[in-house]
Amino acid sequence: MTHQTHAYHMVNPSPWPLTGAFSALLLTSGLVMWFHYNSFTILYIGLLTNMLTMYQWWRDIVREGTYQGHHTPIVQKGLRYGMILFIVSEIFFFAGFFWAFYHSSLVPTHDLGGCWPPTGITPLNPLEVPLLNTSVLLASGVSITWAHHSLMEGKRNSMNQALLITIILGVYFTALQTSEYLETSFSISDGIYGSTFFMATGFHGLHVIIGTSFLTVCLLRQFKFHFTSKHHFGFEAAAWYWHFVDVVWLFLYVSIYWWGS
Amino acid sequence: MVAAVCASRMSGLLSRALPRVGRPMSSGAHGEEGSARMWKALTYFVALPGVGVSMLNVFLKSRHAEHERPEFVAYPHLRIRTKPFPWGDGNHTLFHNPHVNPLPTGYEDE
Repeated sequence: MTHQTHAYHMVNPSPWPLTGAFSALLLTSGLVMWFHYNSFTILYIGLLTNMLTMYQWWRDIVREGTYQGHHTPIVQKGLRYGMILFIVSEIFFFAGFFWAFYHSSLVPTHDLGGCWPPTGITPLNPLEVPLLNTSVLLASGVSITWAHHSLMEGKRNSMNQALLITIILGVYFTALQTSEYLETSFSISDGIYGSTFFMATGFHGLHVIIGTSFLTVCLLRQFKFHFTSKHHFGFEAAAWYWHFVDVVWLFLYVSIYWWGS
Repeated sequence: MVAAVCASRMSGLLSRALPRVGRPMSSGAHGEEGSARMWKALTYFVALPGVGVSMLNVFLKSRHAEHERPEFVAYPHLRIRTKPFPWGDGNHTLFHNPHVNPLPTGYEDE
């Protein structure tokens, strides 16, 4: 027999896990070379191989699913589990930074002045740009839900419009945060306040950029008719990730921007 | 103010969630008929105006704000430099703004 008698996906051999592992080694050792020996070369090669691996690996997944039909319902179920577990791991990643923030801010040490925010730190007003950022991400959560329902109802124009609005809001958030970063009176080197603020919001911002990229890929695939009204897991995964990014921001806003000011 | 916005959004969601269709959906993946229209309305009448109001708020507040910066005090717990940054002269943070960010020795433009 030359065909499989089960619905699972036996993936063809692929070089991308290996190139991905190499890129991880180059990235880590590259950072060491940059921090300690003032050399950017290995880091640059690491970034390049990492980008190439991601592009080619995910391109192959799109080919296997959309063009070759390997993503049967049971395979899709496995992909769902995978995305959920990944997002759970990201939740734990952020939990660490929130732990550090609360550890430092609930019992401020003597050298900070025994208070939070520490002496000499002027925190951002939570009712200005941070509030705008909150409304932007919440709005993007509404527009992405509109996109999903449009997709499920076969409304192509609506879906394109809604997804585009979501992406624009994501870019707007990033632009606002960048301008905030350039305007704050405190920096990452300003003690534990600066460290916790910029590590938590910085990684969040990186995740916004990742989420926006994921959504942009979905938009491009939508233009090429990859999604059907019943089968569009790539979009759902992007939407889950986007909602996760939104929720992390809400925690950041309440904890660091509001309570911590 | 955030709470009021959230509360109005939640009550809007609750009132609009009353079922419009009586027949059950046969396929699990299918969305409720007309729900895309509801989310479109929410986007254009609630979410985006909310962003607009917040933008207006920031704009109005920025006009009133005075731009005098706090006097420089060389606190030992701020402007920490245990190791130079790997870029530039190693003494400037990544998003350094000379007008509002003093170096460990003071503001650069004084």
